[in-house]
Amino acid sequence: MAELSLKERIAANTDAFAKTGYLFGLESLELKESDPGTYEAVWHILSNACDAAWATGCKVSSSPIAAEGGDALWGLHTPTGEAICISRGISAHAGLLSDMIKNFIDADYETYPGFKQGDIFENNDPHYGGIHSPDFDMCMPLFYGDTLVAWASCVSHVADAGAVTPGSIGFLNPDCYSDGIAISMERVGEHDRFYPWYEKRIRSRTRTPDFVMGDARGRLAGCITLRERLQDVIDKYSLEFISKAGQEYVEDSRRYAVGRVKTQTVPGRIRKSQFKDLAMKGKRVLLAKQDIDCCFSLPMELTINADASVDLSLKGASGTVPFGENISPTALKSGLMMGYSHIVGFDMFNSGPISAWNIEMPPAGSWANPYPVDFQAASGVAWAPAVTWLSNLYEVFGRLFQMRGFVEEMAAGSATIMTAEFSGVNQNGVYLTGLTLEQASNGSPARGYSDGENSAWCIYTPEADFGNAEISELYYPILFLGRNVEPNSGGYGKYRGGLGHTAVWMVHNTPGLEYQCGDAGMRSKTVGNHGMYGAYPVCPDRPSYAHDTNVKELIDAQQPLVHKRGSAEDPEVGKMVKARDFEPAAIAPFVTPEPLVDYDLIVHPIGGAQAMGDPITRDPALVLRDLDEGWTTERVANDIHGVVAGKPNGHYKIDEAATAKRRRKMRDDRKKRAVPFKQWWASERKKIESQENMDVAVRRMWSTSMHLSPDYADELRAFWQLADDFVFTEGE
Amino acid sequence: MADFHKADIEKLIDGVLPWPATQDMLRSPKDTDRFDKYVEIMQERVGFSDTILLPLTPNLFIVASDNGRVVKCSCGCDFGDYRVNWKLSALINVRDDEKSISEIYKDREMPDPGWIQLREYICPDCATQLEVEAVPRGCPPDFDFLPDLDTFYAEWLGRPLPDKVEYVDKTIDEVKTWDK
Repeated sequence: MAELSLKERIAANTDAFAKTGYLFGLESLELKESDPGTYEAVWHILSNACDAAWATGCKVSSSPIAAEGGDALWGLHTPTGEAICISRGISAHAGLLSDMIKNFIDADYETYPGFKQGDIFENNDPHYGGIHSPDFDMCMPLFYGDTLVAWASCVSHVADAGAVTPGSIGFLNPDCYSDGIAISMERVGEHDRFYPWYEKRIRSRTRTPDFVMGDARGRLAGCITLRERLQDVIDKYSLEFISKAGQEYVEDSRRYAVGRVKTQTVPGRIRKSQFKDLAMKGKRVLLAKQDIDCCFSLPMELTINADASVDLSLKGASGTVPFGENISPTALKSGLMMGYSHIVGFDMFNSGPISAWNIEMPPAGSWANPYPVDFQAASGVAWAPAVTWLSNLYEVFGRLFQMRGFVEEMAAGSATIMTAEFSGVNQNGVYLTGLTLEQASNGSPARGYSDGENSAWCIYTPEADFGNAEISELYYPILFLGRNVEPNSGGYGKYRGGLGHTAVWMVHNTPGLEYQCGDAGMRSKTVGNHGMYGAYPVCPDRPSYAHDTNVKELIDAQQPLVHKRGSAEDPEVGKMVKARDFEPAAIAPFVTPEPLVDYDLIVHPIGGAQAMGDPITRDPALVLRDLDEGWTTERVANDIHGVVAGKPNGHYKIDEAATAKRRRKMRDDRKKRAVPFKQWWASERKKIESQENMDVAVRRMWSTSMHLSPDYADELRAFWQLADDFVFTEGE
Repeated sequence: MADFHKADIEKLIDGVLPWPATQDMLRSPKDTDRFDKYVEIMQERVGFSDTILLPLTPNLFIVASDNGRVVKCSCGCDFGDYRVNWKLSALINVRDDEKSISEIYKDREMPDPGWIQLREYICPDCATQLEVEAVPRGCPPDFDFLPDLDTFYAEWLGRPLPDKVEYVDKTIDEVKTWDK
């Protein structure tokens, strides 16, 4: 019998899973059961090989994003594409890389152009499953003798992908044609070398070609490292063992995740709404159609079934936007796999856990499935709505773990992600554009037993690291005047989210620098998430900048400068600094109207994460610590936590009796102020009917949500008892 | 399989378990009787005697009461049938203008009330703030979790509940009875 093609093997695997319920039809894990020690040891060897690829690849890479921040990922896959294990780094991409390999196989590339040792394949095109153009996905078939035994994969986030605006967070892109250079499922090299025409294209079509090509070589170096390591492992343990073990690791991980769902959650239906803003009206945009404010509906409905499988629906998702914030379903699934693996399936991070999910195709024409309706939709920063939506998953599973008593596993939702990106000529006369790493270090979500950690977490990578300030100063014409924990940035609850931080930059030694305050999941008109278990949400992201300033005069006169943001009640910017163009709390995202010049200032805050629990149940000792550290303010302590504190001897001290009294009064006030839900419902439904105080962006959002998901529309109308033909209107 | 003392789980719930012991809990294989221990702890802490069937949140519980399976606050306040979103039986305070929102968020922290309203769900008896939603006008309240309780007890825990009820969302049925 002729050997099956890879495409036929994928079909056979799909059949086997459908028939047996086990991936690859593996009803038993023979290697694990017969030789658990070797099975476990080889897993760690392969995992270590991926990490070696990461370390090598990042060192070879050129851009600070990979070289300094480690913002890249390498993976090892079965011949049919399933991820067996991945390196440290941006784990959000594991599913994308897996699907990319499957896509190459599905498109019959095995027949033409064929697969051989040393081939280099890439994709960054969202129409074929990519996430956004700066994320270059690569894979190489790995052969042992004449047999294709595995794939090595990699993704790195390049500094510039040649989009219509500089950099890699293309929120301003109006359509896919402005998303930048497209590598559309291509073989880009052979014999471990890139084609010369690949490099020529990079050189003519990206703004920082040395960095982009350097990162390409980093990807290649990591994949070759992984290939060499795998060769050694096969030499030692045999091809038969490695091939079989690869499949068992994936199935093992699926079983682990399913088992964990069954032993640590509860069957039922979970619903979590989520919203984000993209307010662009009146700002610097590219096309007339972009002079518009957008609001996203990002709903999540999970059903945990009796067999511990999980159904997922995005029913009610709002429509596409004329910006780079639409995502392909493939990429969304990859983000989901990453989040799920963080929460449930992290013992062996691979493709196994997500196979127990039944993902309903998101509404056609929504931000999560744009192409059936809007083939030209842009995806310059497709992560922006996706990670905001994904934030729900952490909270949802946190709630489920609580129900089973696993308090140590509880987490609230994640932080917001607002990026800072520069473009211009730097202090060495070199044109540069690229992302700073500040956003890769958010506060972590509140836990069931404690506050989150400050500046130590990032939803899209376990490699939360904002890098060294000095390295950023080497690349970009900026000087750090400060990097401080941002007070009151983690919501308000019994446990607060970890706090974010604020970078204060002074532009230095450049003829002109554009500051793009980007949206990779920020919220500036709305708040970050809900308030889990009665907490208050994270406040909106509002950066500051000052253009054409008196900072040089202040320095010459040895006067104090701005080193921190200060609290909302007492902001630092503006106290000393005078500027022709001063934005103390800008609505993000935006690009500065004109280039910034020497001695201009930027105050860029990074979000903290979601809190949990009624804020008046917060331990006063924790409030005292936050006051002492400068992480909260007396107003918040008193007004929100009901903690009365004074400074009798220059140090904060809690007045316990006054605190108890204040908290009793706050409970009384709540009862006086609040009304029965039914009473509020009766008045609220009238306001909905008349669309009172609803921004046009909100009305447009509901209009598209209801149009794209008729069932969702019916339920919304039924809840508010609206007429069967009620629709929200988009008129001003 | 790990076997954690009830006293340590209580400390974890109260946020006073030392970090090394918490790490141990995070790392270790999970204890199979955690649910029972947790329910036992919560049962001792709540202000009612009805049997807890499922802790929905740290403050809300689905219990077996004389009125069937209902949601109760830890203080004992009854929110009715667990298949109707409990928020419909709560008190609610909505912040949807600058004045009310500014009691929480100041100046640059202020969200835009044309985009978002803050809904505070309050227990009518003990005034605990049970949930806060941040949603645009028009959004129905999230029915955070509708458990399939009978499947959970019969198939996952292996001890069916004495009665059986239909696993169905009855929220809209309840709303239909209200006067507009």
